[in-house]
Amino acid sequence: MDLRERGRLVGRALALGGALAALTVVALVVSGETLRFASEKVFAVAALVFGFSLLGWSGSVFAGEGIEHFQQHIGGRADWSEADSRRAIVVLGSVGLGGMVGASLATVALGSVA
Amino acid sequence: MSTQTETETEDIGDRGVIERVRASPFLSQLLSNRLALAGLTIIFFMVAIGLYARLFIDLQSVTQTQIGTNPNVAPPSWWGQKEGQIVTDYGTWAYPFGTDIQSRDIFTRVLYGAWLAIKFGTITVGASTILGVGLGILAAYYGDITDNVIMRTMDVLLSFPSLLLALALVAIFGTGLWKVVIALTLVYTPRFARVVRGAALKVLEDEYIEATEALGAKDPRVIVRHILPNCLAPITVQSTLNFGLAIIDIAALSFLGFGSEAGTPEWGLMLANGVEQGLLTGDWWWSFFPGLFLAITVLGFNLLGDGMRDALDPRMRETVD
Amino acid sequence: MISKRFVVKRLLLLIPVLFGVATFVFAILHLSPGDPARVIAGQRASEEFIQQIRVELGLNDPIWVQYGRFLMDAVQLDFGQSYQIRRNTPVKQVLRYKLPVTLEMAIYGQLFGILLGIPAGLLGAIKQDALSDHLTRIGALTGISVPIYWSGPLVILLFAQVLGWFPASGRIASEFDIQPITGMITFDTLVRGNFAAFESAAMHLLLPSLVIGIYSMALISRMMRSSMLEVIRQDYMRTARAKGQGSKITIMKHGFRNALIPVVTVIGIQFGTLLGGAVLTETVFGIAGIGTLLVQAIQVGDYPIVQGTVLTFAFLFTLVNLLVDVTYSYLDPRIEQ
Repeated sequence: MDLRERGRLVGRALALGGALAALTVVALVVSGETLRFASEKVFAVAALVFGFSLLGWSGSVFAGEGIEHFQQHIGGRADWSEADSRRAIVVLGSVGLGGMVGASLATVALGSVA
Repeated sequence: MSTQTETETEDIGDRGVIERVRASPFLSQLLSNRLALAGLTIIFFMVAIGLYARLFIDLQSVTQTQIGTNPNVAPPSWWGQKEGQIVTDYGTWAYPFGTDIQSRDIFTRVLYGAWLAIKFGTITVGASTILGVGLGILAAYYGDITDNVIMRTMDVLLSFPSLLLALALVAIFGTGLWKVVIALTLVYTPRFARVVRGAALKVLEDEYIEATEALGAKDPRVIVRHILPNCLAPITVQSTLNFGLAIIDIAALSFLGFGSEAGTPEWGLMLANGVEQGLLTGDWWWSFFPGLFLAITVLGFNLLGDGMRDALDPRMRETVD
Repeated sequence: MISKRFVVKRLLLLIPVLFGVATFVFAILHLSPGDPARVIAGQRASEEFIQQIRVELGLNDPIWVQYGRFLMDAVQLDFGQSYQIRRNTPVKQVLRYKLPVTLEMAIYGQLFGILLGIPAGLLGAIKQDALSDHLTRIGALTGISVPIYWSGPLVILLFAQVLGWFPASGRIASEFDIQPITGMITFDTLVRGNFAAFESAAMHLLLPSLVIGIYSMALISRMMRSSMLEVIRQDYMRTARAKGQGSKITIMKHGFRNALIPVVTVIGIQFGTLLGGAVLTETVFGIAGIGTLLVQAIQVGDYPIVQGTVLTFAFLFTLVNLLVDVTYSYLDPRIEQ
């Protein structure tokens, strides 16, 4: 995958995460939760996704062999390619990071309106 | 034209049936495996105990303190007596597993524990099976980025030590048996997703799915008619093996104080009480019997699951056990 | 030879792993229902007091500010101060005191697991008659079916209560007062030359590490057996035997090295289970390590301690997998270095 394509993929994932998070914050506030609560929970969920992808990225590079053998042991087929897996992780991480930014921006925006 | 398509699909569907019939050696294999049969017997026995306990033992009566009816912390009545024990039924079968510090009969509590273990084990395994099957089939069927995002997430979850992950999740959800069930469901889902995805991919590789798709069968139909039946065997094996694990882990979290409420006749909690209050005084029966039932139940599931794995894949019998 | 670059590259990977775990923990604590300020203040505290604590802890700041601050602190290994368990003590200090306890037990446990598991697995693979096959199989299945929180009490009852060979709980007899050096008590007593104390410490450690070890032994022996069987069946081994090359022992030696590869990788993953087991074992044997610390911290809502302990567990787990990785590349020269 060339750089531009990769950039576009990341951009789309970031935007998706940001939009999702912002919408959720707004939806929570509209449904009667406090802004602080909405902001904190949505940010935390996005951070969870982001942290997860970080682990996945380092894991796919790092504990790959061990996990593969372990999975064979518990009866799965490990047949993933490094490149595809990293792309997936990047998408996941971007959604998470986008979500963190989106939640923050939505909080600031809602805070200035209120 | 549409009728012809219908029969065509029907024909192709028959191959799925044949596949299923071919699975019958699986059954005969399984039944000829003595260890698996032993496992099956144990499970049957425990389920029977559980049902009996659910129907005939009053939860109230095993939860409450029973001061006055039995001696305080007494060893099994056939075993002997403790110093200072107010002997009532010594030498009888009145309380074959002894009593705990609240004078509760450990025997009936252990029996009721079988019901709780089977019940919450079933819910945990059932829920993670459904989740895992859904995710696994989605991943296999749509492939590409969907597959990768789902499976990498599952891999990360899988690389966490299961008990520590469950502890972390319990920290989010809070304590209680139901919360423990939710946490463990999430912990086990990746295993099912992995197995199911693998099996589904194998089915998808076969031409006949392609043929069915070319004939215009819609996604859900392909999944329900072809992928799911062919994944049943590995799913069953995984569920059985996981059942033992679920029972151990539920009890472990209860043991650590995150599961059942005080007084519940749940094996993990009974063990916790036995260790906390009975270990240093040498009151062995307190932790011995709940643990014995727990270990036997888990062994039953492991024996059966192991035998199933063999019957499923004869090659594995020699290489993986 | 293992190149320095390979090791450095793997060490650098610790950064994203810990960053990921830190973020994960941060998220978990902010998703969990409790309010830290209320935990510190106690249930009956006034609303103003709770507000004051919130301001002091920076809990009123926007969450992204809190996240940034959390990361900055984590980089400096500063997890704040304990709320409950050891009020106003830096988490770092609590961990420094408790970590060696768990580490020591885990190391001995892992050693037991490897030293017992590998021979057991080999035996199962080489002696393949029906009886020993059945026995190893039932043994391994029983091993994974018996939970630590049952085998623990059983060995305590048998060896401590009935036979009286070993002490039931704790780390060392109370008459010894050993000034800690590393905190690993068997090491410290040896260095100080106090052999009576060493003996007492070793006796205290034996049961808990054996209990953990047996559990990891079950998995290791199973892996070892299946892996050895697979290697024995491979073509080159058959040819070697058919050609009558070397004695049976040489062939086995050769096969052993190859069979060890998947086992070694599983030891890394299984170390995580061992750490989980440490939580249970410490509870059973009344050992105050980071396992019991984590359980307590979750129970009372001592979040800084939870953060610190989870990160420590993650660090240990990753470090062991790193070691495994290096061993692995040493065993399997095909791996790119």
